[in-house]
Amino acid sequence: MPVSDISYRKRFLTKDNVYLPHLVIIEKIIDETPDTRTFHFNFKDKGLREEFPFKSGQFGEYSIFGIGEAPFCISSSPTRYDRLEFTVRRVGSLTNALHRLSVGAEIGFRGPYGNGFPLDLLEDKNLVFVAGGIGLAPLRSLIWNVIDNRDKYKNIDIIYGARSPADLCFKYDLKNWDKDKSINMVTTVDKGDKTWKGRVGFVPQVLEEVAPSADSAVAIACGPSIMIRFTFPVLAKLGFTPEQMITTLEKRMKCGIGKCGRCNIGNLYVCRDGPVFTYAQIKDFISDEY
Amino acid sequence: MTNREAEQRLRDEAKSLLESAKVDYIVGFADGSLKFHTTPLITRNKDDVDHLVINPFMASNLAKFLTELEGRVGIVAKGCDSRSIVSLVQDNKVSREKVVIVGIPCRGMINLSKIEQLAGKESDEIDDITRQGDKVVVKLDGSEKEIPVKEVLFDHCLACELPTPKEYDLLIDEPIPATPDEEASQAKINKLEELSHHERWRFWQNEFSRCIRCYACRNVCPACYCQRCFVEEAEPQWILSIPKWQDNLIFQIIRNIHLAGRCTDCGECERACPVNIPLRSLSKEMYDLVGELFGFKSGMEIDAAPLLTHYELEEAEDFFR
Amino acid sequence: MNQKISKKDISKLLDELGKEFKVFSPSRESGVTTFAEWDGRDSSFLEWYRNTVISPKAQLQPLYEKMFSFHKDKEGYHLELPPPTDKKLIFGIRPCDAKALTIIDKTFQDTYQDPYYLDKRKNTLLVGLGCTNPYDSCFCTSLGLSPTQSSDVDLMLTDIGDEFLIEAVTDRGMKLIKKTSYLKEVTKTDEAKAEEARRQASSKVTRRLDTKDLAKRLLSSFDDQDFWEKVSNKCISCGICTLLCPTCYCFDISDELVKKEGSRFRSGDSCAFPVYTKMPMENPRLEKWRRVRQKVCHKYEFYPMSFEVIACSGCGRCIRLCPVNWDITQILASLPVKVKA
Repeated sequence: MPVSDISYRKRFLTKDNVYLPHLVIIEKIIDETPDTRTFHFNFKDKGLREEFPFKSGQFGEYSIFGIGEAPFCISSSPTRYDRLEFTVRRVGSLTNALHRLSVGAEIGFRGPYGNGFPLDLLEDKNLVFVAGGIGLAPLRSLIWNVIDNRDKYKNIDIIYGARSPADLCFKYDLKNWDKDKSINMVTTVDKGDKTWKGRVGFVPQVLEEVAPSADSAVAIACGPSIMIRFTFPVLAKLGFTPEQMITTLEKRMKCGIGKCGRCNIGNLYVCRDGPVFTYAQIKDFISDEY
Repeated sequence: MTNREAEQRLRDEAKSLLESAKVDYIVGFADGSLKFHTTPLITRNKDDVDHLVINPFMASNLAKFLTELEGRVGIVAKGCDSRSIVSLVQDNKVSREKVVIVGIPCRGMINLSKIEQLAGKESDEIDDITRQGDKVVVKLDGSEKEIPVKEVLFDHCLACELPTPKEYDLLIDEPIPATPDEEASQAKINKLEELSHHERWRFWQNEFSRCIRCYACRNVCPACYCQRCFVEEAEPQWILSIPKWQDNLIFQIIRNIHLAGRCTDCGECERACPVNIPLRSLSKEMYDLVGELFGFKSGMEIDAAPLLTHYELEEAEDFFR
Repeated sequence: MNQKISKKDISKLLDELGKEFKVFSPSRESGVTTFAEWDGRDSSFLEWYRNTVISPKAQLQPLYEKMFSFHKDKEGYHLELPPPTDKKLIFGIRPCDAKALTIIDKTFQDTYQDPYYLDKRKNTLLVGLGCTNPYDSCFCTSLGLSPTQSSDVDLMLTDIGDEFLIEAVTDRGMKLIKKTSYLKEVTKTDEAKAEEARRQASSKVTRRLDTKDLAKRLLSSFDDQDFWEKVSNKCISCGICTLLCPTCYCFDISDELVKKEGSRFRSGDSCAFPVYTKMPMENPRLEKWRRVRQKVCHKYEFYPMSFEVIACSGCGRCIRLCPVNWDITQILASLPVKVKA
């Protein structure tokens, strides 16, 4: 499918107006790290949950009325019907305001937007997940998705790192995946502390040490752009071709639907044509502005 | 010196500055692509300096580019531009050693909008505009019209206190003495001052309702050098990014307060505005107020301390201590 | 069959149209030319109107507009859409500005329908007025346009002296003609006069932009940082060229809250501003040359890649209104790489 054909995507509109958010309620708030929280939410009109279609890797536009709107990926898996989650790091005015919310708060949501991960490409493959910091959020949706359809996929490696032990997100998931015998879970931190007994080292380094085979494999990487920049060469060294490397890009966005203009990389809009791209696609980008 | 001679001298000097590697860049004016327009020429190439011009249409304040360019810069400066440069030096934004000021004595710049109004035609329809002493000759549809130059100069030029730069490294022509006509320069502002508070409020409401938030006023201003302008701050958000007149007005008021003691009354904000908001009517008020309260005129004396960012231990107020 | 109308009758015509539509016509307010609601003032704009500073695009995508309002009560938030748009008629739109709307339609129709723009678009009739006195900054003919003819309007008027010749371009236009008073049949002489007016007008547009292989040439110059730095050095990164461009549509979305009543707005935004792409930790277009490159390439390279049309109609506003006379036609003419045909 060409990058920009998105006509197949389902619409989930309010009053036929793509900008009008649905009302959703915050049901649970989890402190992931000192600056990152996960919000569990559901539609105020609970019946809407059934109609709400989304894929791992897609994102939504979340808004606090009176403050503004921002895009975050849906960090829960579509295979878990009772879960709708998004994860936010406190960096600006809206994210700060989100962190001030308490359970029961009513916010706006529109989506799902973006292409999501190409599940068909991953089937019957060995999967290598490489994530840094809050970059685990979109991958986590995919990881649970894969686990819930475990027989469709082969080996799973997860290499996840953060700056410090305190900065590791989704520790409850990490524990689960660590216990799961069908998964090779590797957790690392840039810098340990007194209690940390695990690995210490940057994600790309650790990836090189773990050295997952590129044979019949796909690597899915997400994290700070500096991490991604060092991860692709390591993957290449391990024998992964550009077609076998997938990442999800982050850009400043407003509309989420390819109209407001700002998230373009050359002729592509990250919101409309991405945010998930193979490295083969990225290499073909006109621009290096990612 | 004739204008042509002055231009030639300027080109020669600029070329030798580049050739002798005394500067990395030359910043000056070249003919624009539109009639009666100049455009900034910013170049490292000595062949480009042959495009440098001197004419009555060099309205831009080139000092703006000094804070952007890396390396040593030879800059063509009218009196007002030199004041902005001096002010930037005082604010530690530009190092004096890295600037070669090529001074141009200036008899005022022609405001095309005023010509258009008098001629009833837009500038591209006018055949020629030439300055002859105290007159400007406008050729239109085969006929000639003489206009006293005071009717077509920019308002800020009419009040010019420094036609010839005081701070310069080279001066291209003979100095021109200042002959400020404060009254003519203030005409538009005086009219405003005659209005009642209520009427004035209505006036500004109307003016600022046209603002499109292009920020040209801020971006042409050499004194607006903040890396991050308060309008773009999100926490706290001082004004909305929606161009409502109230927010537009607050933007200008705060901008003017920030520029107190830095504004040199170069008039660029008003000239750049695409929707004719008389911004100088605000900025000149602040300029005059600074003069009245502190006896300070920005950019006039290279040795002066910057007005509001300078503090002495002997100062009467002790809030800084 | 073409019709004509006497210039003297234009005021009466606009009054009559005003009964069915909100009519917008060229107007000068505090020295700024724009399209304003016809209030029966007079038709003197016919004397001075060349093109407006504020393009009629502002009637379809205003500088800012309310997307919805919200208020909170015991039950939570309630969102309310603005009332449906009025039927509008834009009288006197130039072919370049009409073409600009056809160009940006593509974006607003792409994949997700943009309700605000498209509702207004659907409910707005365009009455074009041939341009007989183009600016020296105009270059519409280089983009395949004629200053006096347009397929992007409903009706097209051509100046033939004391009268305007009227052509119906669309069915909507034809319907409008049929119910409008003050029209007369045209003669062969009128048609000849119109033809001559068109010929003359086209020859008055002298600025040129070579669009041949332009997207390809831009593509091959895309990574030439020296070039982009050189052509962007005098740009002051203001938003004039973009915010007043009839084919620039980028926008920002933000909220306003006054006490408990709030609204979400969208407002014009510009790729010239660093903050446009600023993220908390990084900014992909922090450097000025990248922003200038984005502006140029979006119009002449990316847009044609997506929608097979250049996002420029040659209205010349970006040249005419620029405080430093940055000239897109000069920039494109100086592209370092020429692609062989």
